Amino acid sequence: MIKDLIRGLWRENPIFVQVLGMCPTLAVTTKALFGFSMGIATLFVVVSSSVVISIIRKLVPEQVRIPMFTVIIATFVTAADYFLKANFFSISKALGPYVPLIVVNCIILGRAEAFASKNSVGRSFLDALGMGLGFTCALIVLGSIRELFGFGTIFGFQILGDGFEKWIIMILPAGAFITLGILVGVFNIIDKKMRARERVQG
Amino acid sequence: MKNKLTDIFANSVVRMIVALAIVGTVSGAALVLVYNYSMPKIKVNMKADTERAIKDIFPQTDKIQNTKEEGVFKAVDSSGKLLGYAFLAEGNGYQGTIKMIAGVDGSITTMNGMEVLESQETPGLGAEIADDKFRKQFNGLSLSHEIEYVKNEKPQQPYEIEAITGATISSRSVVHILNKRIGEIRKALKG
Amino acid sequence: MEFEKLILILIGASITNNFVLTYFLGICPFIGVSSKIDSAIGLGIATTFVMTLAATVTWLIYYYILVPFNLVFLQYVTFIIVIASLVQFVEMFIRKTSPPLYKALGIFLPLITTNCAILGLTLFMVLRDYNFLESIIFGLGAGVGFTLALVIMAGIREELKFADVPEPLKGAGITLIIAGLLALAFMGFGGIISSG
Repeated sequence: MIKDLIRGLWRENPIFVQVLGMCPTLAVTTKALFGFSMGIATLFVVVSSSVVISIIRKLVPEQVRIPMFTVIIATFVTAADYFLKANFFSISKALGPYVPLIVVNCIILGRAEAFASKNSVGRSFLDALGMGLGFTCALIVLGSIRELFGFGTIFGFQILGDGFEKWIIMILPAGAFITLGILVGVFNIIDKKMRARERVQG
Repeated sequence: MKNKLTDIFANSVVRMIVALAIVGTVSGAALVLVYNYSMPKIKVNMKADTERAIKDIFPQTDKIQNTKEEGVFKAVDSSGKLLGYAFLAEGNGYQGTIKMIAGVDGSITTMNGMEVLESQETPGLGAEIADDKFRKQFNGLSLSHEIEYVKNEKPQQPYEIEAITGATISSRSVVHILNKRIGEIRKALKG
Repeated sequence: MEFEKLILILIGASITNNFVLTYFLGICPFIGVSSKIDSAIGLGIATTFVMTLAATVTWLIYYYILVPFNLVFLQYVTFIIVIASLVQFVEMFIRKTSPPLYKALGIFLPLITTNCAILGLTLFMVLRDYNFLESIIFGLGAGVGFTLALVIMAGIREELKFADVPEPLKGAGITLIIAGLLALAFMGFGGIISSG
């Protein structure tokens, strides 16, 4: 059971390993807070749609499976979007059209198709929770790095002194791509070392 | 897992249509609930956003009154004196709509400020129209002449602003939108 | 004036604010598929076709059904269904009418439904208040932009086979970094419009 939860956090991390769900990852991570909010919104959608899909999995006709999953996902995304607009107006303004784009985030349909449609509710819940948390963590890391170099702050707190010249490129699209590319590389190095150690122990 | 009965049903077109119809109906119903819960709150938020912008432009504002003109508000201080008019202005930017709120004094001879409510300009470049450095140029700008913009030099005239380097289109759009809207408001309030 | 705006939308969507490199839309196929120029061109053309069609259909549905009947909250659900059915329809149509074309494009069509660029396109279209004609041009421009980015990327990755890429960066890492450099290069095109 616990394996279902941990998988998404590291070994199958949706961003660093599977490289899925890229558009929100790159677009909203100009600041850590935006990355965090997008992560939580995605977490909500992936968990609730996985649970619902797992509950109805035996009733779903094979041929219309994908359209049904998509409608369920789109419903939860709309709910999340309206909830953000109602309660966190300024965040929702900053995330803009990238909240509705959660609908086509491959992670969610991927989890529905690969896991929730075949496994029990409990396991699907844990799997989705792990994937959502892994996604959120990755967004926070990326957002913090870009915010630190782009604005000199993290979550709005001043980290670098006044003499710091802002790196505009970090807030621009190019900075997003390059930062994530390097992070993926760093992740691979760490993962490789960990695997090597496991092999020695095993 | 599946027994024979569900297998037969799984292949029938009827079952497919029923399943889709049920999902569609449930989803629609759920969204109606969500919509009804959040719409009033969203409206309050949008109004609060506008009010905050107006108070930013006219700090002494005590009351905001509607005028007969749609999207134009009177900002009044606690003694009832007219501080100026605040108005919504929107138009096309480099990419998509720019929505602003701006303030002018009672006689429409100087501007009191401008705030960007919504824009989809390029982050880091055009999006700087919402930053103080660009915005503050509109505080106290003379309206004796149409607003004009200059590139890569300091403004010479009281009605000039300096465009953002690398984002001339966004800067020009802001100027165009404001000029057009101020013209309309002049006509409406005088007439 | 109207014509000037259309040109501006076309250039904006395809080059200066390229869908892939500025808005990060359609990254999944961009990273996953684009390692051969031939398949990049195929996927690009199929996507452009669906995008133009999607912009047209969703515009009509949004302004003639959703807005008049006060159903805007069903926007996302409706749009994604429209896009999915459109892709299915195009697939069936091509298979019936032109088997050679189906052979060339067929395998790419199912990939298009989950391409965020299409849903993104329809959302931006509504957000920016484009009229009917502008929306079609916007769809076309976005498709051209997507194709352009995809083909350039595929070209670079074909050459990359002979390059000595550091081990940890192989695959996604280096692709992202190249995309970053491309995004920088495309920023230079910004001057086409803003020098006006």
